[in-house]
Amino acid sequence: MSQNIIEVKSLKVKVGKKKILDNTQIQFHKGESVVIAGRNGSGKSTFLRCLANVILPDQGQIIYGEGVSKGKIGFISDKLSLFENYSVKQGIDFHATVFDIKGFDYTLINELKLNLNQKIKNLSAGERTLYHLSLILAQKPEILLIDEIIHTIDPYLREKFLEAVIDLIDCCQTTVIMVNHTFSEIEKIPERVLVMEKGQFILDEKCENLGEKIKRVESPVEIPEEIPCIFKRELPFYKEYFVYPFEEELRKKFAYEYKELNLNEIVKAFVGGQYVKERIH
Amino acid sequence: MFRFNIDFDFPVPIYRQVIQALRLEIISGRLKNGDQLPPIRELAKILKLNPNTVAKAYYTLEEEGFIESKRGSGNWVNYKNAKLDSLRKAMIEDEIRSFLERAFSLGATIEDVKNFIERYSKK
Repeated sequence: MSQNIIEVKSLKVKVGKKKILDNTQIQFHKGESVVIAGRNGSGKSTFLRCLANVILPDQGQIIYGEGVSKGKIGFISDKLSLFENYSVKQGIDFHATVFDIKGFDYTLINELKLNLNQKIKNLSAGERTLYHLSLILAQKPEILLIDEIIHTIDPYLREKFLEAVIDLIDCCQTTVIMVNHTFSEIEKIPERVLVMEKGQFILDEKCENLGEKIKRVESPVEIPEEIPCIFKRELPFYKEYFVYPFEEELRKKFAYEYKELNLNEIVKAFVGGQYVKERIH
Repeated sequence: MFRFNIDFDFPVPIYRQVIQALRLEIISGRLKNGDQLPPIRELAKILKLNPNTVAKAYYTLEEEGFIESKRGSGNWVNYKNAKLDSLRKAMIEDEIRSFLERAFSLGATIEDVKNFIERYSKK
């Protein structure tokens, strides 16, 4: 578990004068599943693209662990071109030749009842994603990068997609890193949550510990400043405070009811906190 | 088998929820000594969970003495009756404690609760 499969060192990416990634540092371990959240424009998709080698950083380094070659990194995004004029069959054959894959697994393709002579450009969003996934699965990737794809596909295909990813994690100890706004179906897969803001990670926690570290307090009046608060929301009858990092000591000092939150609310609080700070400055 | 739901809105860590659900299956008798548990990958696919999460739950249940993992043949229910009785007691106690907390928060006294229990146990 502790073996690093990716180590990212002071990554910098600029677009024009705008810093998208600013000294980004992070490690990923072999076999873990990670979700990266953050508001629009926080740099999470750019970061994923760097990991996928789709864009080159201006500065910094990405060091991959042993056995990770380019062919062992799978990247799924709806913005990629997939040899659009090929038919499904031609696409698969081409892929199998390039990556020297023998005995391509047609399970997913068959389950979708895809017509093998259909052109890639005529596939639906969901069919494209699963077609692309089956190409990637054939390479038994060490790293799977998923960019915001899950809610462009229908519930049935989403289930097929998840099952295929679960199989992959189980058979190959693949490291899965995904970028997501909404958590819906994927929320039970990640073990670790990262929140990105202005090209840096402002939260890095294991899912199972998050509930202990962030709490919500409702109060009609301002709470003391000693309570660390990342996000405050004014509602008609009370104010809502999101406390992070929470420590048990706080219960003794300030007798509030510290309520627990689920992952979705936690991420919303972090993202919301960034919006509010922005407006103050 | 395994109709249980994992509720993500519930702030208890998922692997804890899996443990709790499997304990309930065992206590209720739906899973008996000698029954085979679904392979990690299969249960992960049924519940749409990370296989590592299911593995962690199985491992904890093994440590607690409810299941046994046999190399190459999977995970099997295997517990001592004394172990099951003490777990059952602890779970009933938890249920009663939270029931009382809710009743008291609605303004019931211990006398009210006793009266209700008496009335309902006659039915």
